[in-house]
Amino acid sequence: MTASGTRFEDDMVLVKRRRDPFLILLWIVLVTFALVWIAPVVLIAFTALKSNAEVMATSAFAPPETVAWSNFSGAWARGNFATTFTNSAIITVIKVPLGLIFSAMAAYALARIRLKFGKLLLLFFLFGAMIPFQVMLAPIFTLVNGFGLIDTYPGVILPYLAFGVPYQVFILHGFFKAVPKELSEAALIDGASHVTVFRRIFLPISLPVLAALLILDFVSTWNEFAMALVLLQDRHMWTLPLGLMSFQGQFSTDYGQLNAAIAMTVIPAVLVYMIFQRYFVSGLTSGAVKG
Amino acid sequence: MLNSKVMQSSRTQALLLIGPALVVYATFAIWPMIEVVFLSFQHWNGLDPQREWVGLENYQYILTKDPVFWIALRNTITWTLLAVLFPPTIGLLLALGLNEQLFGRVPMRAIYYLPVIIAPIAVATMWKWMYDPFFGLFNQVLTNIGLQAWIKDWLGDREIALYSMFVAYTWQYVGFSMVLFLAGLQSVDRSLVEAARIDGANRWQSFKHVTLPALRVTIAIVLVLSTISSLKAFDIVYGMTGGGPAQSTQMLALWAFMQSMQIFDFGRGSAISVILLLVTLTIVVPYLRWSQRDEGASE
Repeated sequence: MTASGTRFEDDMVLVKRRRDPFLILLWIVLVTFALVWIAPVVLIAFTALKSNAEVMATSAFAPPETVAWSNFSGAWARGNFATTFTNSAIITVIKVPLGLIFSAMAAYALARIRLKFGKLLLLFFLFGAMIPFQVMLAPIFTLVNGFGLIDTYPGVILPYLAFGVPYQVFILHGFFKAVPKELSEAALIDGASHVTVFRRIFLPISLPVLAALLILDFVSTWNEFAMALVLLQDRHMWTLPLGLMSFQGQFSTDYGQLNAAIAMTVIPAVLVYMIFQRYFVSGLTSGAVKG
Repeated sequence: MLNSKVMQSSRTQALLLIGPALVVYATFAIWPMIEVVFLSFQHWNGLDPQREWVGLENYQYILTKDPVFWIALRNTITWTLLAVLFPPTIGLLLALGLNEQLFGRVPMRAIYYLPVIIAPIAVATMWKWMYDPFFGLFNQVLTNIGLQAWIKDWLGDREIALYSMFVAYTWQYVGFSMVLFLAGLQSVDRSLVEAARIDGANRWQSFKHVTLPALRVTIAIVLVLSTISSLKAFDIVYGMTGGGPAQSTQMLALWAFMQSMQIFDFGRGSAISVILLLVTLTIVVPYLRWSQRDEGASE
Protein backbone atom coordinates (compact mmCIF):
# COMPACT_ATOMS: atom_id res chain seq x y z
CA MET A 1 0.00 0.00 0.00
CA THR A 2 2.83 2.41 0.72
CA ALA A 3 4.88 0.58 -1.79
CA SER A 4 5.57 2.96 -4.64
CA GLY A 5 9.27 2.98 -3.74
CA THR A 6 9.81 -0.72 -3.41
CA ARG A 7 7.48 -1.56 -6.23
CA PHE A 8 9.94 -0.09 -8.68
CA GLU A 9 12.71 -2.27 -7.24
CA ASP A 10 10.38 -5.25 -7.33
CA ASP A 11 9.72 -4.57 -11.00
CA MET A 12 13.41 -4.47 -11.73
CA VAL A 13 14.03 -7.73 -9.95
CA LEU A 14 11.16 -9.35 -11.76
CA VAL A 15 12.66 -8.27 -15.04
CA LYS A 16 16.02 -9.65 -14.01
CA ARG A 17 14.62 -12.95 -12.88
CA ARG A 18 11.91 -13.25 -15.48
CA ARG A 19 13.08 -16.67 -16.48
CA ASP A 20 12.93 -18.22 -13.02
CA PRO A 21 9.84 -20.42 -13.40
CA PHE A 22 9.70 -21.09 -9.66
CA LEU A 23 9.19 -17.42 -8.85
CA ILE A 24 6.52 -17.02 -11.52
CA LEU A 25 4.63 -20.02 -10.19
CA LEU A 26 5.02 -18.74 -6.63
CA TRP A 27 3.67 -15.36 -7.67
CA ILE A 28 0.62 -16.90 -9.32
CA VAL A 29 -0.13 -19.01 -6.24
CA LEU A 30 0.25 -16.05 -3.88
CA VAL A 31 -1.97 -13.79 -5.98
CA THR A 32 -4.68 -16.44 -6.30
CA PHE A 33 -4.57 -17.05 -2.59
CA ALA A 34 -4.69 -13.31 -1.88
CA LEU A 35 -7.81 -12.97 -4.03
CA VAL A 36 -9.49 -15.74 -2.03
CA TRP A 37 -8.36 -14.09 1.20
CA ILE A 38 -9.81 -10.69 0.35
CA ALA A 39 -13.04 -12.08 -1.16
CA PRO A 40 -15.04 -11.96 2.11
CA VAL A 41 -14.06 -8.31 2.61
CA VAL A 42 -15.09 -7.43 -0.94
CA LEU A 43 -18.34 -9.29 -0.40
CA ILE A 44 -19.10 -7.26 2.74
CA ALA A 45 -18.24 -3.98 0.99
CA PHE A 46 -20.43 -4.75 -2.04
CA THR A 47 -23.37 -6.04 -0.04
CA ALA A 48 -23.24 -3.05 2.29
CA LEU A 49 -23.86 -0.86 -0.77
CA LYS A 50 -26.72 -2.86 -2.28
CA SER A 51 -30.43 -2.61 -1.63
CA ASN A 52 -32.06 -5.78 -0.34
CA ALA A 53 -33.76 -6.39 -3.69
CA GLU A 54 -30.41 -6.17 -5.43
CA VAL A 55 -28.77 -8.49 -2.90
CA MET A 56 -31.34 -11.14 -3.76
CA ALA A 57 -31.28 -10.58 -7.51
CA THR A 58 -27.57 -10.24 -8.28
CA SER A 59 -24.55 -12.44 -7.80
CA ALA A 60 -22.69 -12.01 -4.54
CA PHE A 61 -19.55 -10.62 -6.18
CA ALA A 62 -21.26 -8.29 -8.62
CA PRO A 63 -20.54 -4.65 -7.78
CA PRO A 64 -23.64 -2.68 -6.73
CA GLU A 65 -25.54 -1.18 -9.70
CA THR A 66 -27.11 1.61 -7.71
CA VAL A 67 -25.22 2.54 -4.59
CA ALA A 68 -27.51 2.31 -1.57
CA TRP A 69 -25.84 4.65 0.91
CA SER A 70 -29.07 4.51 2.88
CA ASN A 71 -27.91 1.18 4.34
CA PHE A 72 -25.36 3.07 6.38
CA SER A 73 -27.74 5.71 7.70
CA GLY A 74 -30.37 3.04 8.31
CA ALA A 75 -28.03 0.77 10.24
CA TRP A 76 -26.58 3.76 12.09
CA ALA A 77 -30.02 4.71 13.41
CA ARG A 78 -31.46 1.25 14.05
CA GLY A 79 -28.29 -0.13 15.59
CA ASN A 80 -27.90 2.84 17.94
CA PHE A 81 -24.45 3.45 16.48
CA ALA A 82 -24.29 7.04 17.70
CA THR A 83 -24.18 5.72 21.26
CA THR A 84 -21.96 2.68 20.76
CA PHE A 85 -19.54 4.57 18.51
CA THR A 86 -19.15 7.35 21.08
CA ASN A 87 -18.59 4.85 23.90
CA SER A 88 -15.97 2.94 21.91
CA ALA A 89 -14.23 6.19 20.96
CA ILE A 90 -14.14 7.51 24.54
CA ILE A 91 -12.85 4.24 25.97
CA THR A 92 -10.19 3.80 23.27
CA VAL A 93 -8.99 7.41 23.31
CA ILE A 94 -8.46 7.30 27.09
CA LYS A 95 -7.18 3.75 27.40
CA VAL A 96 -4.62 3.56 24.61
CA PRO A 97 -2.39 6.59 25.42
CA LEU A 98 -2.68 6.02 29.17
CA GLY A 99 -1.69 2.38 28.81
CA LEU A 100 1.29 3.23 26.59
CA ILE A 101 2.55 5.84 29.08
CA PHE A 102 2.20 3.50 32.06
CA SER A 103 3.93 0.70 30.17
CA ALA A 104 6.76 2.89 28.89
CA MET A 105 7.43 4.27 32.37
CA ALA A 106 7.54 0.83 33.93
CA ALA A 107 9.60 -0.63 31.09
CA TYR A 108 12.17 2.17 31.39
CA ALA A 109 12.58 1.66 35.12
CA LEU A 110 12.88 -2.10 34.74
CA ALA A 111 15.42 -1.83 31.93
CA ARG A 112 17.49 1.13 33.10
CA ILE A 113 17.43 1.35 36.89
CA ARG A 114 19.23 -1.30 38.93
CA LEU A 115 16.66 -2.82 41.23
CA LYS A 116 16.93 -5.69 43.65
CA PHE A 117 13.76 -7.33 42.40
CA GLY A 118 13.88 -5.96 38.89
CA LYS A 119 14.18 -9.29 37.17
CA LEU A 120 11.43 -10.80 39.28
CA LEU A 121 9.13 -7.85 38.57
CA LEU A 122 9.72 -8.20 34.86
CA LEU A 123 8.85 -11.87 35.04
CA PHE A 124 5.73 -10.97 37.02
CA PHE A 125 4.62 -8.64 34.22
CA LEU A 126 5.57 -11.09 31.50
CA PHE A 127 3.43 -13.74 33.14
CA GLY A 128 0.34 -11.57 32.63
CA ALA A 129 0.97 -11.30 28.89
CA MET A 130 0.49 -15.05 28.62
CA ILE A 131 -2.73 -15.43 30.61
CA PRO A 132 -5.94 -15.15 28.61
CA PHE A 133 -8.43 -12.95 30.46
CA GLN A 134 -11.29 -14.76 28.72
CA VAL A 135 -10.68 -17.44 31.35
CA MET A 136 -11.49 -15.10 34.21
CA LEU A 137 -14.54 -13.13 33.12
CA ALA A 138 -16.57 -13.97 36.24
CA PRO A 139 -13.98 -12.84 38.83
CA ILE A 140 -13.32 -9.69 36.78
CA PHE A 141 -17.03 -8.98 36.94
CA THR A 142 -17.06 -9.63 40.69
CA LEU A 143 -14.11 -7.30 41.25
CA VAL A 144 -15.45 -4.42 39.14
CA ASN A 145 -18.86 -4.89 40.72
CA GLY A 146 -17.22 -4.68 44.15
CA PHE A 147 -15.86 -1.25 43.21
CA GLY A 148 -19.34 -0.24 42.01
CA LEU A 149 -18.00 0.36 38.51
CA ILE A 150 -20.24 -1.84 36.36
CA ASP A 151 -21.63 0.21 33.44
CA THR A 152 -19.02 2.97 33.81
CA TYR A 153 -16.05 3.97 31.65
CA PRO A 154 -13.45 3.42 34.42
CA GLY A 155 -15.01 0.00 34.98
CA VAL A 156 -13.80 -1.19 31.57
CA ILE A 157 -10.77 1.04 31.16
CA LEU A 158 -9.05 -0.24 34.32
CA PRO A 159 -9.23 -3.96 33.39
CA TYR A 160 -8.28 -3.08 29.80
CA LEU A 161 -5.20 -1.29 31.13
CA ALA A 162 -4.33 -4.22 33.37
CA PHE A 163 -4.41 -6.73 30.53
CA GLY A 164 -2.71 -4.42 28.02
CA VAL A 165 0.26 -3.43 30.19
CA PRO A 166 2.15 -6.77 30.36
CA TYR A 167 2.76 -7.23 26.64
CA GLN A 168 3.71 -3.58 26.15
CA VAL A 169 6.13 -3.67 29.09
CA PHE A 170 7.70 -6.77 27.60
CA ILE A 171 8.24 -5.23 24.15
CA LEU A 172 9.38 -1.83 25.43
CA HIS A 173 11.71 -3.41 27.97
CA GLY A 174 13.44 -5.28 25.15
CA PHE A 175 13.78 -2.04 23.21
CA PHE A 176 15.05 0.10 26.11
CA LYS A 177 17.50 -2.58 27.14
CA ALA A 178 19.13 -2.40 23.71
CA VAL A 179 19.68 1.36 23.81
CA PRO A 180 23.43 2.08 24.22
CA LYS A 181 24.48 3.17 27.73
CA GLU A 182 26.29 6.29 26.48
CA LEU A 183 23.01 7.86 25.52
CA SER A 184 21.70 8.13 29.06
CA GLU A 185 24.83 8.01 31.22
CA ALA A 186 26.11 11.47 30.35
CA ALA A 187 22.80 13.03 31.29
CA LEU A 188 22.58 11.06 34.52
CA ILE A 189 26.10 12.08 35.55
CA ASP A 190 25.18 15.70 34.86
CA GLY A 191 22.53 15.30 37.52
CA ALA A 192 19.43 14.74 35.42
CA SER A 193 16.82 12.56 37.10
CA HIS A 194 15.62 9.29 35.63
CA VAL A 195 12.26 10.87 34.99
CA THR A 196 13.94 13.54 32.86
CA VAL A 197 16.10 11.01 31.00
CA PHE A 198 13.02 8.95 30.31
CA ARG A 199 11.02 11.91 29.05
CA ARG A 200 13.75 13.68 27.08
CA ILE A 201 15.76 10.79 25.68
CA PHE A 202 13.97 7.46 25.81
CA LEU A 203 10.44 8.54 24.95
CA PRO A 204 11.48 10.32 21.73
CA ILE A 205 13.66 7.47 20.44
CA SER A 206 10.99 4.86 21.14
CA LEU A 207 8.38 6.56 18.96
CA PRO A 208 8.48 3.88 16.20
CA VAL A 209 7.93 1.11 18.76
CA LEU A 210 5.23 3.13 20.45
CA ALA A 211 3.53 3.59 17.06
CA ALA A 212 3.54 -0.17 16.48
CA LEU A 213 2.15 -0.80 19.94
CA LEU A 214 -0.41 1.92 19.39
CA ILE A 215 -1.79 0.07 16.36
CA LEU A 216 -1.97 -3.22 18.20
CA ASP A 217 -3.54 -1.65 21.26
CA PHE A 218 -5.98 0.51 19.35
CA VAL A 219 -7.16 -2.47 17.34
CA SER A 220 -7.51 -4.80 20.32
CA THR A 221 -9.25 -2.18 22.48
CA TRP A 222 -11.60 -1.16 19.69
CA ASN A 223 -12.46 -4.80 18.96
CA GLU A 224 -12.67 -6.12 22.52
CA PHE A 225 -15.87 -8.03 23.11
CA ALA A 226 -15.78 -10.57 25.97
CA MET A 227 -14.92 -8.21 28.82
CA ALA A 228 -17.28 -5.51 27.56
CA LEU A 229 -20.04 -8.13 27.43
CA VAL A 230 -19.59 -8.81 31.13
CA LEU A 231 -18.86 -5.29 32.37
CA LEU A 232 -21.25 -3.19 30.27
CA GLN A 233 -24.79 -4.42 30.72
CA ASP A 234 -26.72 -1.17 30.19
CA ARG A 235 -27.19 -0.69 26.45
CA HIS A 236 -26.41 3.03 26.77
CA MET A 237 -22.89 2.03 27.79
CA TRP A 238 -22.38 -0.58 25.06
CA THR A 239 -19.38 -0.46 22.75
CA LEU A 240 -19.45 -1.12 19.00
CA PRO A 241 -18.85 -4.89 19.15
CA LEU A 242 -21.72 -5.31 21.61
CA GLY A 243 -23.92 -3.16 19.39
CA LEU A 244 -23.02 -5.22 16.33
CA MET A 245 -23.80 -8.46 18.14
CA SER A 246 -27.22 -7.17 19.11
CA PHE A 247 -27.84 -5.80 15.60
CA GLN A 248 -27.04 -9.20 14.15
CA GLY A 249 -29.59 -10.78 16.47
CA GLN A 250 -32.38 -8.37 15.56
CA PHE A 251 -31.92 -7.52 11.89
CA SER A 252 -30.02 -10.49 10.51
CA THR A 253 -32.23 -10.69 7.41
CA ASP A 254 -31.63 -7.10 6.36
CA TYR A 255 -28.40 -8.00 4.58
CA GLY A 256 -27.54 -4.57 3.25
CA GLN A 257 -27.80 -2.92 6.63
CA LEU A 258 -26.14 -5.81 8.44
CA ASN A 259 -23.10 -5.51 6.20
CA ALA A 260 -23.11 -1.74 6.55
CA ALA A 261 -23.05 -2.28 10.33
CA ILE A 262 -20.09 -4.65 10.00
CA ALA A 263 -18.28 -2.11 7.80
CA MET A 264 -18.84 0.74 10.22
CA THR A 265 -17.49 -1.35 13.09
CA VAL A 266 -14.38 -2.35 11.16
CA ILE A 267 -13.45 0.84 9.28
CA PRO A 268 -11.94 2.89 12.16
CA ALA A 269 -9.51 0.10 13.09
CA VAL A 270 -8.52 -0.36 9.43
CA LEU A 271 -7.92 3.40 9.06
CA VAL A 272 -5.66 3.52 12.12
CA TYR A 273 -3.79 0.50 10.84
CA MET A 274 -3.26 2.09 7.43
CA ILE A 275 -2.04 5.38 8.91
CA PHE A 276 0.51 3.77 11.22
CA GLN A 277 1.34 0.61 9.33
CA ARG A 278 4.72 1.73 8.02
CA TYR A 279 5.99 1.57 11.60
CA PHE A 280 4.38 -1.75 12.17
CA VAL A 281 6.81 -4.48 11.16
CA SER A 282 9.96 -2.46 11.86
CA GLY A 283 8.71 -1.39 15.27
CA LEU A 284 7.75 -4.88 16.30
CA THR A 285 10.94 -6.52 15.19
CA SER A 286 13.07 -4.18 17.28
CA GLY A 287 11.83 -5.80 20.46
CA ALA A 288 9.59 -8.76 19.89
CA VAL A 289 11.62 -11.24 17.96
CA LYS A 290 15.17 -11.65 18.99
CA GLY A 291 17.66 -13.89 17.38
CA MET B 1 28.22 8.40 50.20
CA LEU B 2 27.10 10.10 47.07
CA ASN B 3 26.58 6.71 45.54
CA SER B 4 24.14 5.50 48.17
CA LYS B 5 22.16 8.73 47.91
CA VAL B 6 21.93 8.32 44.16
CA MET B 7 20.87 4.72 44.62
CA GLN B 8 18.17 5.70 47.06
CA SER B 9 16.75 8.45 44.91
CA SER B 10 16.79 6.21 41.88
CA ARG B 11 14.87 3.60 43.87
CA THR B 12 12.19 6.17 44.65
CA GLN B 13 12.08 7.18 41.01
CA ALA B 14 11.80 3.57 39.95
CA LEU B 15 8.86 3.11 42.28
CA LEU B 16 7.18 6.20 40.84
CA LEU B 17 7.73 4.96 37.30
CA ILE B 18 6.63 1.36 37.89
CA GLY B 19 3.86 2.20 40.36
CA PRO B 20 0.88 3.00 38.12
CA ALA B 21 1.38 -0.01 35.83
CA LEU B 22 2.01 -2.34 38.75
CA VAL B 23 -1.00 -1.26 40.80
CA VAL B 24 -3.46 -1.52 37.91
CA TYR B 25 -2.00 -4.82 36.76
CA ALA B 26 -1.93 -6.42 40.20
CA THR B 27 -5.46 -5.28 41.04
CA PHE B 28 -7.31 -5.98 37.82
CA ALA B 29 -5.35 -8.87 36.31
CA ILE B 30 -3.61 -10.77 39.11
CA TRP B 31 -6.27 -10.48 41.79
CA PRO B 32 -9.05 -12.01 39.61
CA MET B 33 -6.72 -14.92 38.97
CA ILE B 34 -6.45 -15.52 42.72
CA GLU B 35 -10.13 -14.84 43.27
CA VAL B 36 -11.16 -17.41 40.68
CA VAL B 37 -9.37 -20.09 42.71
CA PHE B 38 -11.29 -19.08 45.86
CA LEU B 39 -14.56 -18.97 43.97
CA SER B 40 -14.01 -22.47 42.63
CA PHE B 41 -14.20 -23.84 46.19
CA GLN B 42 -17.35 -21.91 47.00
CA HIS B 43 -21.02 -21.96 46.27
CA TRP B 44 -22.20 -18.55 45.13
CA ASN B 45 -24.78 -17.07 42.77
CA GLY B 46 -22.92 -13.79 42.28
CA LEU B 47 -25.34 -11.68 44.37
CA ASP B 48 -25.66 -13.10 47.89
CA PRO B 49 -23.52 -11.40 50.50
CA GLN B 50 -22.70 -14.86 51.82
CA ARG B 51 -20.41 -17.27 50.02
CA GLU B 52 -20.43 -20.82 51.22
CA TRP B 53 -17.27 -22.94 51.24
CA VAL B 54 -17.98 -26.31 49.67
CA GLY B 55 -14.54 -27.83 49.23
CA LEU B 56 -14.12 -29.82 46.05
CA GLU B 57 -17.84 -30.14 45.33
CA ASN B 58 -17.73 -27.93 42.21
CA TYR B 59 -14.86 -29.90 40.70
CA GLN B 60 -16.57 -33.17 41.55
CA TYR B 61 -19.76 -32.02 39.82
CA ILE B 62 -17.94 -30.82 36.71
CA LEU B 63 -15.81 -33.92 36.32
CA THR B 64 -18.51 -36.49 37.05
CA LYS B 65 -21.95 -35.00 36.39
CA ASP B 66 -21.53 -32.35 33.71
CA PRO B 67 -21.46 -33.96 30.25
CA VAL B 68 -20.98 -30.57 28.58
CA PHE B 69 -17.64 -30.08 30.34
CA TRP B 70 -16.18 -33.10 28.57
CA ILE B 71 -17.51 -31.99 25.19
CA ALA B 72 -16.05 -28.55 25.83
CA LEU B 73 -12.72 -30.02 26.87
CA ARG B 74 -12.54 -32.24 23.80
CA ASN B 75 -13.47 -29.34 21.52
CA THR B 76 -10.91 -27.09 23.16
CA ILE B 77 -8.17 -29.70 22.65
CA THR B 78 -9.18 -30.30 19.02
CA TRP B 79 -9.34 -26.57 18.40
CA THR B 80 -5.94 -25.96 19.97
CA LEU B 81 -4.27 -28.72 17.96
CA LEU B 82 -5.77 -27.36 14.74
CA ALA B 83 -4.80 -23.80 15.70
CA VAL B 84 -1.21 -24.79 16.35
CA LEU B 85 -0.98 -26.76 13.14
CA PHE B 86 -2.74 -24.81 10.39
CA PRO B 87 -2.45 -21.03 10.82
CA PRO B 88 1.28 -21.14 11.66
CA THR B 89 2.06 -23.48 8.75
CA ILE B 90 0.14 -21.38 6.25
CA GLY B 91 1.62 -18.24 7.81
CA LEU B 92 5.15 -19.59 7.40
CA LEU B 93 4.55 -20.52 3.76
CA LEU B 94 3.11 -17.08 3.02
CA ALA B 95 5.99 -15.36 4.81
CA LEU B 96 8.54 -17.38 2.83
CA GLY B 97 6.80 -16.52 -0.43
CA LEU B 98 6.32 -12.85 0.40
CA ASN B 99 9.93 -12.56 1.54
CA GLU B 100 10.98 -13.06 -2.08
CA GLN B 101 11.25 -9.91 -4.18
CA LEU B 102 7.96 -10.31 -5.97
CA PHE B 103 5.83 -7.75 -7.74
CA GLY B 104 3.12 -6.46 -5.40
CA ARG B 105 4.33 -8.21 -2.30
CA VAL B 106 3.59 -5.23 -0.06
CA PRO B 107 -0.12 -4.98 -0.93
CA MET B 108 -0.33 -8.79 -0.70
CA ARG B 109 1.08 -8.71 2.82
CA ALA B 110 -1.50 -6.08 3.69
CA ILE B 111 -4.31 -8.26 2.31
CA TYR B 112 -3.27 -11.28 4.35
CA TYR B 113 -2.93 -9.16 7.46
CA LEU B 114 -6.24 -7.31 7.02
CA PRO B 115 -8.45 -9.92 8.77
CA VAL B 116 -6.30 -9.70 11.90
CA ILE B 117 -7.48 -6.16 12.52
CA ILE B 118 -11.17 -6.94 11.98
CA ALA B 119 -13.07 -7.37 15.25
CA PRO B 120 -13.52 -11.11 15.96
CA ILE B 121 -17.19 -10.46 16.58
CA ALA B 122 -17.44 -8.87 13.11
CA VAL B 123 -15.64 -11.90 11.63
CA ALA B 124 -18.18 -14.12 13.37
CA THR B 125 -21.05 -12.04 11.95
CA MET B 126 -19.58 -12.10 8.42
CA TRP B 127 -18.94 -15.81 8.36
CA LYS B 128 -22.23 -16.72 9.99
CA TRP B 129 -23.90 -14.94 7.12
CA MET B 130 -21.66 -16.57 4.49
CA TYR B 131 -22.45 -19.97 6.04
CA ASP B 132 -26.21 -19.35 5.96
CA PRO B 133 -27.74 -22.54 4.48
CA PHE B 134 -30.19 -20.69 2.21
CA PHE B 135 -28.76 -17.27 1.36
CA GLY B 136 -25.13 -17.78 2.30
CA LEU B 137 -22.24 -17.36 -0.10
CA PHE B 138 -20.88 -20.89 0.19
CA ASN B 139 -24.04 -22.72 -0.75
CA GLN B 140 -24.78 -20.17 -3.49
CA VAL B 141 -21.37 -20.69 -5.06
CA LEU B 142 -21.68 -24.47 -4.78
CA THR B 143 -25.07 -24.31 -6.51
CA ASN B 144 -23.70 -22.08 -9.25
CA ILE B 145 -20.84 -24.40 -10.08
CA GLY B 146 -23.08 -27.45 -10.02
CA LEU B 147 -21.92 -29.04 -6.79
CA GLN B 148 -25.31 -29.12 -5.08
CA ALA B 149 -24.31 -32.40 -3.45
CA TRP B 150 -21.75 -30.53 -1.36
CA ILE B 151 -24.28 -28.11 0.09
CA LYS B 152 -24.34 -28.26 3.86
CA ASP B 153 -25.80 -26.55 6.87
CA TRP B 154 -22.31 -25.43 7.80
CA LEU B 155 -23.01 -24.22 11.31
CA GLY B 156 -26.15 -26.26 11.97
CA ASP B 157 -24.63 -29.68 11.43
CA ARG B 158 -23.14 -31.01 14.66
CA GLU B 159 -20.51 -33.01 12.79
CA ILE B 160 -18.94 -30.08 10.96
CA ALA B 161 -19.91 -26.92 12.86
CA LEU B 162 -16.64 -26.84 14.83
CA TYR B 163 -14.57 -27.14 11.65
CA SER B 164 -16.63 -24.53 9.80
CA MET B 165 -15.90 -22.19 12.66
CA PHE B 166 -12.23 -23.07 12.53
CA VAL B 167 -12.02 -22.07 8.87
CA ALA B 168 -13.20 -18.58 9.84
CA TYR B 169 -10.63 -18.53 12.65
CA THR B 170 -7.86 -19.55 10.24
CA TRP B 171 -8.91 -16.83 7.81
CA GLN B 172 -8.58 -14.31 10.59
CA TYR B 173 -5.27 -15.38 12.18
CA VAL B 174 -3.01 -16.58 9.35
CA GLY B 175 -1.83 -12.99 8.88
CA PHE B 176 -0.72 -12.83 12.50
CA SER B 177 1.66 -15.79 12.13
CA MET B 178 2.77 -14.44 8.76
CA VAL B 179 3.86 -11.09 10.22
CA LEU B 180 5.83 -12.74 13.01
CA PHE B 181 7.57 -15.04 10.52
CA LEU B 182 8.30 -12.11 8.19
CA ALA B 183 9.88 -10.32 11.12
CA GLY B 184 11.87 -13.43 11.97
CA LEU B 185 13.02 -13.84 8.37
CA GLN B 186 14.61 -10.38 8.46
CA SER B 187 17.17 -11.84 10.85
CA VAL B 188 18.08 -14.68 8.48
CA ASP B 189 21.35 -13.83 6.84
CA ARG B 190 20.57 -13.55 3.12
CA SER B 191 24.20 -14.00 2.17
CA LEU B 192 24.20 -17.41 3.88
CA VAL B 193 21.18 -18.48 1.84
CA GLU B 194 22.83 -17.23 -1.34
CA ALA B 195 26.11 -18.94 -0.47
CA ALA B 196 24.25 -22.20 0.03
CA ARG B 197 22.52 -21.78 -3.33
CA ILE B 198 25.83 -21.04 -5.07
CA ASP B 199 27.31 -24.15 -3.47
CA GLY B 200 24.63 -26.12 -5.27
CA ALA B 201 21.95 -26.51 -2.59
CA ASN B 202 18.46 -26.46 -4.04
CA ARG B 203 15.69 -24.31 -2.55
CA TRP B 204 14.46 -27.02 -0.20
CA GLN B 205 17.95 -27.80 1.07
CA SER B 206 18.85 -24.19 1.70
CA PHE B 207 15.51 -23.72 3.46
CA LYS B 208 16.03 -26.79 5.63
CA HIS B 209 19.65 -26.17 6.56
CA VAL B 210 19.91 -22.38 6.64
CA THR B 211 16.54 -20.66 6.98
CA LEU B 212 14.75 -23.10 9.27
CA PRO B 213 17.46 -23.26 11.96
CA ALA B 214 17.63 -19.45 11.97
CA LEU B 215 13.86 -19.31 12.55
CA ARG B 216 13.98 -21.57 15.60
CA VAL B 217 13.20 -18.81 18.13
CA THR B 218 10.46 -17.31 15.96
CA ILE B 219 8.83 -20.70 15.53
CA ALA B 220 8.75 -21.21 19.29
CA ILE B 221 7.20 -17.78 19.80
CA VAL B 222 4.57 -18.31 17.11
CA LEU B 223 3.61 -21.74 18.44
CA VAL B 224 3.24 -20.52 22.02
CA LEU B 225 1.26 -17.44 20.98
CA SER B 226 -0.98 -19.59 18.74
CA THR B 227 -1.66 -22.00 21.57
CA ILE B 228 -2.56 -19.24 23.98
CA SER B 229 -4.76 -17.37 21.54
CA SER B 230 -6.58 -20.59 20.66
CA LEU B 231 -7.36 -21.21 24.32
CA LYS B 232 -9.09 -17.88 24.51
CA ALA B 233 -11.38 -18.54 21.55
CA PHE B 234 -14.46 -16.84 22.88
CA ASP B 235 -15.78 -14.08 20.66
CA ILE B 236 -15.93 -16.19 17.53
CA VAL B 237 -17.78 -19.05 19.23
CA TYR B 238 -20.14 -16.71 21.05
CA GLY B 239 -20.90 -14.82 17.83
CA MET B 240 -21.21 -17.75 15.42
CA THR B 241 -22.88 -20.59 17.29
CA GLY B 242 -23.12 -19.68 20.98
CA GLY B 243 -21.77 -23.18 21.61
CA GLY B 244 -24.54 -24.91 19.64
CA PRO B 245 -26.05 -26.84 17.99
CA ALA B 246 -26.68 -29.01 21.04
CA GLN B 247 -23.40 -27.86 22.69
CA SER B 248 -21.43 -29.43 19.84
CA THR B 249 -19.16 -26.36 19.53
CA GLN B 250 -18.97 -25.59 23.23
CA MET B 251 -15.52 -24.62 24.56
CA LEU B 252 -14.10 -24.24 28.04
CA ALA B 253 -13.77 -20.43 28.07
CA LEU B 254 -17.34 -19.96 26.85
CA TRP B 255 -18.74 -22.68 29.12
CA ALA B 256 -17.07 -21.08 32.16
CA PHE B 257 -18.65 -17.77 31.19
CA MET B 258 -22.10 -19.32 30.70
CA GLN B 259 -22.01 -21.16 34.02
CA SER B 260 -21.13 -17.98 35.90
CA MET B 261 -22.82 -15.16 34.03
CA GLN B 262 -25.89 -16.89 32.59
CA ILE B 263 -26.67 -19.77 34.95
CA PHE B 264 -25.28 -17.74 37.91
CA ASP B 265 -23.30 -20.61 39.32
CA PHE B 266 -20.02 -18.82 39.99
CA GLY B 267 -18.55 -21.82 41.78
CA ARG B 268 -18.83 -24.24 38.87
CA GLY B 269 -17.92 -21.57 36.34
CA SER B 270 -14.79 -20.76 38.31
CA ALA B 271 -13.85 -24.41 38.64
CA ILE B 272 -13.89 -24.65 34.82
CA SER B 273 -11.80 -21.47 34.66
CA VAL B 274 -9.25 -22.91 37.06
CA ILE B 275 -8.91 -26.05 34.96
CA LEU B 276 -8.38 -23.95 31.83
CA LEU B 277 -5.92 -21.77 33.73
CA LEU B 278 -3.93 -24.84 34.77
CA VAL B 279 -3.80 -26.02 31.16
CA THR B 280 -2.53 -22.57 30.14
CA LEU B 281 0.11 -22.56 32.87
CA THR B 282 1.52 -25.91 31.78
CA ILE B 283 2.29 -24.24 28.44
CA VAL B 284 3.28 -20.78 29.69
CA VAL B 285 5.60 -21.64 32.57
CA PRO B 286 8.02 -23.83 30.59
CA TYR B 287 8.04 -21.19 27.85
CA LEU B 288 8.85 -18.41 30.32
CA ARG B 289 11.69 -20.44 31.82
CA TRP B 290 13.04 -21.19 28.39
CA SER B 291 12.89 -17.55 27.27
CA GLN B 292 14.56 -16.38 30.51
CA ARG B 293 17.34 -18.91 30.06
CA ASP B 294 17.82 -17.60 26.55
CA GLU B 295 17.96 -14.04 27.90
CA GLY B 296 20.60 -15.02 30.46
CA ALA B 297 22.73 -16.62 27.77
CA SER B 298 22.67 -13.58 25.51
CA GLU B 299 23.73 -11.16 28.27
